[in-house]
Amino acid sequence: MIGTIFKKELKDTLRDRRTVMMMIIVPTLIFPVILNLFVGISSSFEKDAAEKNVNIGVVSAAPSRMDTELKTLPAELGKKALITVSDTIQLAKLIADDSLQIGIFIPAAADSSIARKEAVPILVFFDATEVGMQDRAKAYLEYVNEKLKKERYAELKIDEATLVPITTAYRNIASDKEMIGKFAGGILPYIFIVFGFLGCMYPAIDLFTGEKERGTIETLLTTPVPRWKLLFGKMGVVVLSGLTASTFSLFGLFFSIEVLQVIDNPEFLAIIHDILTLKFVLMLYLLLFPLTVLFAGIMIPIAVRAKSFKEAQSIISPLNIVIIMPAMVGFLPGIELNAITALIPVVNVVLATKELIAGTLEWPLIILSFGVMSALAVVMVMLSYKRFGSESNVVN
Amino acid sequence: MIRVEHLTKTFSLNSQQRKELGTTDSTVTAVDDISFSCEPGRVYALLGPNGAGKTTTLRMLSTIFTPTSGMIEINGIDAVKDPQEARKHIGFLTGSAGLYARLTPNELIRYFATLYGVSDNAFEERKQKLYTLLDMHDFQNKRIGKLSTGMKQKVSICRTMIHDPQVVIFDEPTSGLDVITAENIIHLINDCRNQGKTVIFSSHIMSEVDLLCDDISIIYRGKLLFNDTMESFREQMEAPNLTAEFIRIVNNSKTPAL
Repeated sequence: MIGTIFKKELKDTLRDRRTVMMMIIVPTLIFPVILNLFVGISSSFEKDAAEKNVNIGVVSAAPSRMDTELKTLPAELGKKALITVSDTIQLAKLIADDSLQIGIFIPAAADSSIARKEAVPILVFFDATEVGMQDRAKAYLEYVNEKLKKERYAELKIDEATLVPITTAYRNIASDKEMIGKFAGGILPYIFIVFGFLGCMYPAIDLFTGEKERGTIETLLTTPVPRWKLLFGKMGVVVLSGLTASTFSLFGLFFSIEVLQVIDNPEFLAIIHDILTLKFVLMLYLLLFPLTVLFAGIMIPIAVRAKSFKEAQSIISPLNIVIIMPAMVGFLPGIELNAITALIPVVNVVLATKELIAGTLEWPLIILSFGVMSALAVVMVMLSYKRFGSESNVVN
Repeated sequence: MIRVEHLTKTFSLNSQQRKELGTTDSTVTAVDDISFSCEPGRVYALLGPNGAGKTTTLRMLSTIFTPTSGMIEINGIDAVKDPQEARKHIGFLTGSAGLYARLTPNELIRYFATLYGVSDNAFEERKQKLYTLLDMHDFQNKRIGKLSTGMKQKVSICRTMIHDPQVVIFDEPTSGLDVITAENIIHLINDCRNQGKTVIFSSHIMSEVDLLCDDISIIYRGKLLFNDTMESFREQMEAPNLTAEFIRIVNNSKTPAL
């Protein structure tokens, strides 16, 4: 009988355009859109930065060697043009109105400082809101600095190598997969949780509050089917909708990578292929299932109690933020799955998924997370049953 | 057959409901110790103004609500102790009942037949009979949401009767319907009587009651003010017509006894 109710509710749900939108279309499109935007924007930024012609304003108190060196900066340091400016006030003004991107003040005693082998105090003006300009200025001056340094070593007859007492090499023992898992792995479960929640929301409201609002619940309750079977049949569709939304977001990710080929870096692509294995997908569903049941278990008592679609939506929608906030913990590097975080619902799923991606999962913690989520899901199902069994909640 | 003895239903009131009703009481009694019986092959009308307790009574008979106290027997089954078994014998139709707009009549009727445990053979036979009787063949595969009110009412009737219930409960079945559409319900009630089914229906329209019922009860503020045959009602009439008599009985109950 639960199967009959499930099939009917599923058919009814799949014919609702709003639900299909939230369950299939939006989750499928989310990864292709986000990845395309991300890759497109970042590559366009890189291209723009490389091609950007930087106007460098130079205020020289007196002509010096520094002016000559700046004029002969090599082309590989990017396109640039040197413009002579009368004073620093004018320099700041021109940077503020974006006529110049960098300003360099060279003191009058620059040449004598160089001759005395002293440091020339250079003042650099830049606008921090113009991303990358400080780095450009550093690169130009570092080039000049290195050139002058080499000249001094030669004049003083010093072997440069003798001035380096130690050399240091850093070796990262974390694999690239682990790095991605720990630092970027939070995004994946976050998106699954968001869509799992949204996927559950409309069917929960439609199948419970909607029945009350349309006046169909009364006739359903007069059939000789126990209420728990009605609840389970309906709840099954709510959970399936949540999982379907998560699945389509995963499908969207595969589609972006394999068909749209959004990522063209072969090394990065190899790491992603290494992450998205069948084992990963199965483990992910093992964690997502109790979470989605929990979502359904939270929404159903609200939907049963609400008198109208609008009322249910106005309560469940803000709840989205309360549930999604812990999911954002996944974005924070340094927070890991341990005996404490495994006890915090939602947070444990995010962190466990991060561990899965990084390939550093510890079975006891995964089992503990699964156990906590399952226990909570059972409690919420029982609460749903209590609410659905209450005549005052079921009939308006 | 329906047998009701000392049936009472009390609802708890929350603070908001108390404010809306302008009372300080923590409970309200919607149905207060009523007893009556409906016989097979007869139509029983529950007449009363809005808020009298008609819908609460019928919701208890159809096992949606559990009575606070009292006994309900549906075809010999104790509906309070075994509501699930009692539901197999009940067909329930309300004027305000909706249908699943995204399903077709065929899908909806099949769904309810399965919920009632109707066998495939019996389902096909009853479906064809009801479709022919109600002239539903032309729109059986259209989405219910696209049907006219009259067509929807026919689907509701078909849904109510698909498991061939022996007890049929109608809660204000013609409310909000035009005369032509209401005619389908009138026919259905008469058919049920002719087939020997037990029919109970609630209404606040005296002319409808006069047209259909064999037995009548008048309910007001949860109490039965009159409970007898229609014939007896006519004989005891003090007012010039049926509607005036109904109003007289209700008004008399408001006057405190000297």
